[in-house]
Amino acid sequence: MTISTGIRVAALDDVAEGEGIAISKAITGTADNIAILRDEDGSVWALDDTCTHETASLADGWVEDGHVECPLHSSKFCLKSGEVQGLPATKNTCPHRVELRDSDIWLFPNETP
Amino acid sequence: MTSTKEPIAGRGTCPGEACGNVPSGRATPAPGGALRRPAELQRNIDVSGLVDEKGGLLDRAVFTDEQLYRQELRRVFAPSWLFLAHADQFHKPGDFFTTHMGEDPVIVTMTKNREIKAYLNSCRHRGARVCRADFGQTRNFTCTYHGWAYDLDGALVSVPNEGGYPESFRRDDWGLVEVPHVESYHGLIFGTWNPDPVSLRESLGDMAWYLDAMLDHDPEGTVAFGGVHKWVLEGNWKLAAEQFATDWYHVNMSHASALMVLSPTGRGPKDEIIHREGRQYVDPNGHGAGFPVHPKNRFDADTVHEWMDYAALRSRLGDARVEGPLTTGHATVFPNFSYLPVNGSIRVWHPKGPNRMEVWAWTIVDRSMPEEVREAQRLYNLRTFGPSGIFEQDDGENWSECQAIAHGFITNGVALNYQMGLGSEREDGRYPGTTSELYSDAAGRSFYARWRTLMNTPAWHEEQP
Repeated sequence: MTISTGIRVAALDDVAEGEGIAISKAITGTADNIAILRDEDGSVWALDDTCTHETASLADGWVEDGHVECPLHSSKFCLKSGEVQGLPATKNTCPHRVELRDSDIWLFPNETP
Repeated sequence: MTSTKEPIAGRGTCPGEACGNVPSGRATPAPGGALRRPAELQRNIDVSGLVDEKGGLLDRAVFTDEQLYRQELRRVFAPSWLFLAHADQFHKPGDFFTTHMGEDPVIVTMTKNREIKAYLNSCRHRGARVCRADFGQTRNFTCTYHGWAYDLDGALVSVPNEGGYPESFRRDDWGLVEVPHVESYHGLIFGTWNPDPVSLRESLGDMAWYLDAMLDHDPEGTVAFGGVHKWVLEGNWKLAAEQFATDWYHVNMSHASALMVLSPTGRGPKDEIIHREGRQYVDPNGHGAGFPVHPKNRFDADTVHEWMDYAALRSRLGDARVEGPLTTGHATVFPNFSYLPVNGSIRVWHPKGPNRMEVWAWTIVDRSMPEEVREAQRLYNLRTFGPSGIFEQDDGENWSECQAIAHGFITNGVALNYQMGLGSEREDGRYPGTTSELYSDAAGRSFYARWRTLMNTPAWHEEQP
């Protein structure tokens, strides 16, 4: 686990509750793009963007009740831990730490939340 | 979305012989390989002898015969403009509505480019529907059988275990089959499988003038208010479509009890309500519209009547429309879209075999109407022409009655009478196109003449590649 410096990736208002945005790996320096996901309670989380089942962007998925549902085949992942919670995916995805500063979202790639 | 007469989706292309007879959009060359459908599966019947519009006679086999019904799906529904949805049902990309074109299930959706497109709702893999919901919001259409997933443009974007397919497999070949033409008229969205149709506007002809009496009260147009009511009726779809095109005649008899209930005195309607004068529009493409004509014609629901600015309507639509098709009346856009302007009811008669139809009905109101006026119109429509409406019940009972006995051998061979108003068709100088009397079968004769023409004309999909 490498400790990275934080990156300001978006304003909080850029991400609607229940939705997500994808941050390019060119910005995050990670192997995969990172999905910034905002739960319906307003909390913000980050996971590797590509579903572990097939190629799909979790940032396009549905975010609710502490999980994100893949828009293609409905696999579910825990927002906090990246743990897979529903088939057809069987592998966990990787979580990343985010922090809210004022009204901005800061991402710390590869740091455990 | 503002109302538009322009096409709202690009023209689909059919690249080369690979597309065979299947309508296809950009994403769907529809590989058929060695498949060749034998002609015996699609035998056609010459229906010339089943419709005698000059004599005003109709053979009842048009309502009962299974083979004729299959031919209708191929030659009447497939090439015609069919109503899909109201534009107000789509506000954001991913908004979708599922319906039918004939018996074909289709998805209507707004793409990321905010175009309205329609696709056959059937996975290209094993054929299950890729969208099971009535309406909603989505990012993709994913088949719940094996997981093939399609984006809002119909492109196949995910195939689980794709590595298991041969190298020749290309996702581009297996997108959803796209309805090649989708166009709207004043908020009403229609589609056709015909790869080379006349425009929707052209197919409406003078019918557009009558439609505008409902759709064009002011520049803001209409919205769909409330949900879509759906119910099943025993009866051939043409019984309903024909009646809405041509039949004011049944009103005083069939709806006697409803008219009694609605009369303010409780002793029944005034004589001038019972003995009405009016006109019936007879369209060469099979559309029809009938309406009483009177200077004091009005909307029935009091709240709606009080809100309407009849002087402004006269200025915008002209006296002839305000005194005619603006309010009480009936109409059908061939083949299976009908409406009632007085209560904003628009509906499709979905065919479900020769003996059954599904009615799908919306209430449309002027966008400019305040909430309480919209609600008054919705409730009035529900009470009169909703699934349990006091008028709708009468109509459904008649159609089911006619259908229930029509399979009898002797019964089926006894011709039906469509002779009212024979020879009355003319141009009256006030109402556009050819019109007949309010009490007339003229639009019905024209409806069945159009039906016969299409039934006897090979459609594009019958051309040999």
